[in-house]
Amino acid sequence: MSTNGAAGRIQIDGVAKQFGDLRVFQDIDLAIGEREIVSIVGPSGCGKTTLLRCIDGLVQPSEGEIRIDGAKVTEPPRGVAVVFQHFGLFPWKTVYENVAYGLRLAGAPKDQIAESVARHIELVGLKGFDKAYPYQLSGGMQQRTGLARALATDPHVLLMDEPFASIDAQTREILQFELLRIWESRPMSMVFVTHSIEEAVLMGDRVVVLRGRPSSIHEVIETGLPRPRTRDVLSSPRFNEVREQVWSLLMHEAEQAERELQEVR
Amino acid sequence: MASVPHEVAIPRTYGVSARTQRTFLRIATGVILLVLWEVLVRWLAPPFVARPVTVARALPHVLANHLPPGTPTFWGAAEATVVASAEGLAIGIVGGVLVGLTMGRLRTADRLLRFYISTFFAMPIIALVPVMTLWFGYSSTVRLYIVALGAFLPICLNVYDGTRSLPASFVEVAQSYRARWWNVWFGIALPASLPYLLAGFKLAVGRVLVGAVVAEYIVNLKGLGSYIVFDSRTFHQPEMMVAVLFLALLGVSVNAAADLATRRFLPWYRRSE
Amino acid sequence: MSAIQVNEPKPRMIVPHSVRGGAISLVGLVIGAGIWEIVGRHTQAASFAPFSQTVSALWLMTRSGELPTALESSLELFGAGLGFAMLFGFFGGLFLARIRLLRIGLEPYILMLYATPMFALIPFILSLFGFEFRAKVIVVTLFGVWPILINTLEGARSVSNDLLEVAKSYRSTEPKLWRHVIIPYTLPYTMTGVRQAIARSLIGMLASEYLLAATGLGNLILTYTNRFDTARVLAAVLVITLLATILMAIGRAIENYFARWKAGV
Repeated sequence: MSTNGAAGRIQIDGVAKQFGDLRVFQDIDLAIGEREIVSIVGPSGCGKTTLLRCIDGLVQPSEGEIRIDGAKVTEPPRGVAVVFQHFGLFPWKTVYENVAYGLRLAGAPKDQIAESVARHIELVGLKGFDKAYPYQLSGGMQQRTGLARALATDPHVLLMDEPFASIDAQTREILQFELLRIWESRPMSMVFVTHSIEEAVLMGDRVVVLRGRPSSIHEVIETGLPRPRTRDVLSSPRFNEVREQVWSLLMHEAEQAERELQEVR
Repeated sequence: MASVPHEVAIPRTYGVSARTQRTFLRIATGVILLVLWEVLVRWLAPPFVARPVTVARALPHVLANHLPPGTPTFWGAAEATVVASAEGLAIGIVGGVLVGLTMGRLRTADRLLRFYISTFFAMPIIALVPVMTLWFGYSSTVRLYIVALGAFLPICLNVYDGTRSLPASFVEVAQSYRARWWNVWFGIALPASLPYLLAGFKLAVGRVLVGAVVAEYIVNLKGLGSYIVFDSRTFHQPEMMVAVLFLALLGVSVNAAADLATRRFLPWYRRSE
Repeated sequence: MSAIQVNEPKPRMIVPHSVRGGAISLVGLVIGAGIWEIVGRHTQAASFAPFSQTVSALWLMTRSGELPTALESSLELFGAGLGFAMLFGFFGGLFLARIRLLRIGLEPYILMLYATPMFALIPFILSLFGFEFRAKVIVVTLFGVWPILINTLEGARSVSNDLLEVAKSYRSTEPKLWRHVIIPYTLPYTMTGVRQAIARSLIGMLASEYLLAATGLGNLILTYTNRFDTARVLAAVLVITLLATILMAIGRAIENYFARWKAGV
C-alpha cells in the first residue's frame, strides 16, 4: 500500500471532452512527472475542472486517453486523491471520521487507520478537533480536513480542484504555504487547478494556460522558481514576471471574448 | 429572533427564572382545562360521561387490573397494542429504508413504484381494514398488515426524498475514494437521509397507532381499540379515558424520544440551513 | 457553483428521455393491474376480486346511484369537517401567535392532542354529541385541525422582525400590518398544514363512518364486507384512493400557489 518511492507520472494523450453538442476542450497533451506540481489556469468554463475529473476517472474523456504510471485510467485509481473546491466533507461525520473515510473504503486495518488519521489531523494543524462536526468549523478548517482526508490515503498523485477558491483571502494564503510545507516533507505529483494566477504561479513548477472555445493548451510556462517556496517568492522579480506573462495571456483571451460578444450584439 | 413583537407580554417577575415561570404557567393552564372539563361535563352531559374526578377515581383500579370479570384488562390490551405497533414499525423501517433507497438511487425503480407508493400514502389505510378481514380472517394478521403499511409508506417516501436530495458532490467524493454502489447507498445516501427518516418515523408513529386501534376495533382483537369501544359501550367511560390518556402519552413520548434522538445522534443536522 | 455544473449542460434531448420514463411508469401500472388480476383469479372468489371484476362492480354501483350517493355523503362530511378545521386552525393559530401567555400555557396540550390517535376520542364525542352528522363533523375537524393550527402558529411566529420594522417605518397601521405582512407570510405555512389535514381528515371521515352512524363510503365498505362481496368493497376502496389522490393533488397545488414567492418552489 505504501507509495513511498512510487512514481505518480501522469500521461495525457490527445484528450478531448464533449457534453452533447458542447465541446469543452480538445487536443490536450500533457506529461506530468514524478513529484512535479503543474498548475492549470484558464477562464471560467474552459473545462479545467472537468480535465481534473478526467484524470481521476470520475469523468471519461470523449477522445484520447490518460495513463497514470502506465495504467489507463477508467475509474478512480488507487493512490490518487482529490481535494475539492466544495470540501466534500460529509456533514454527519466528525473530522476524525471524515479523515478516516478513504482508509475505511480501502479496507485498511483499524489500528493503521487510527494511527494515520491522528497523524494527518496533526499534520494539517487540526489537533484537538477530532470530534468536531464540519458545521462547527470555519471554511479554512474544513478544507484542512479535506486535505487530511486526501493525504491519509498516502497518495502519490494529488489532484487539487480549486481547493482554496471558497476560502477568504487571508486564510487562503496561510493554507497555500502550509500545503507547500507539507509537500516539502512528502513530495508527490500534483495537478493544481485554480483561477487565481498568483496561486498557479506560486504552486507550480509549470503553469498550463488553457484558452479558446473549445479550449486547448495555449502555453506551458516553466516558472523556474526555487523550492522550498516561502513568502519571499511572492516579492521576487521572477514571480512577478511569470505572473505578468500568464496575466497577459488570459487578459488577451478575455478581451477577445468581450469583443466577440460586442459583435454578436 | 422570530417573534411577533406587539404581543401581550408577561409581566416580568424578577427572581424567578423564565423556565420556572413557563412550567408554572403550563401547569396552571392544565388545571384550568381540567376544571373546565369537570364543570362543563357535570353541567351539560349525562352522568356516565367521564370527568377528571371520575377518571382519577378509576385510575388506580384500572392500572392495577382490578376490573369486573369478563372485561378486558387494561395492561393486557396496552401490551397487545404496543407490541403490534412496534412490530409494524420495525417492518416499516426496514422495508421503507430499503425501498426508499432503491427508488432514490435507481430511476427505473422510481418510475415503476412511485405511483403506488404515493397513492397508498395519500389514501387512508384504514379503508383496507374491512377488506383484509375477508382476506386474512378476523385475526391479528390484519392488524400487522395495517400497522406495517402505516409505517412503511411515510418512511419509504421520506427516505426516498432524502436520497433524491442527496448532493451530487457527496457521491462524487465517495467515487473518488473508489466507493462501490453499496458504499454509496448505505455509507452516503442512508446517513444523509437520516433526518428525513426520523421525520418519516414521527409521521409513522401517528399512523401506526391509529391503524392499530381501528383494526382492533373492527377485527375485535385484544388491544386498546377494542378495550376503548367495550368500555364505552358498557358505560365505563372513566376506565376508557385511562386508555385514551395512555395512547396520548404514548404518542407524545415516542415523538419526544425521536426529537431527543435527533439532537443526540444527529448533532450535525441543523434545521436552519 | 461547482465546476461540474458549469461544464455539464443539461442534455439536449429531453423529449425521448421523458418518453422512456413515462413508458417505464406505464409498464409499472400495467404490471400492477396484471398482478391484481392474476392474484384475483387464482384465489377464492369470496376473498379476492380481480381487477376486471372490481371495475365492473364500480360501473354497476355507479349506475345504480349507490356510489354517487355515498360519495356525496362522505364529501359533505369531509368538506364540513375540513372547513371547520381550517377556520379554527387558521384563526386559532394567529390568535395563539399573538397572545404569548395563552400560547405557552396551551402548547403542550395542543401537541398532546396532535399526537393522540383521535380515533380513541370518538366514543367520548359520541356520548356528548350523539351519532349523527354533527358528531361526525366534530370528529373530522378534530382529526384535521391540529396540523393547520400548529403550522399557522409557527408561520406567524417566524415573520422576521426586519419586515415588521419596515412596515412600521412606513407607518403601517395594525390591521394593515396583518393584511400586508403577517397573513401573507403565514399562509404558505397554513397551507402546508392544510395538506397534512386533508390526509388526516380522510382518516377521520372513514373512522367516524365506521364507528358512528354508518353512512357514505365507510358504510359501503362495511356493508359489502359483511356480504363477502369483495369486488364491491374494492370498488369503494378504489374510489377512496382516487378521491385521496385528487384531494392531495389539489392540496399540493394550493400549497404551491401560496408559496410561489418562496425561492425554489
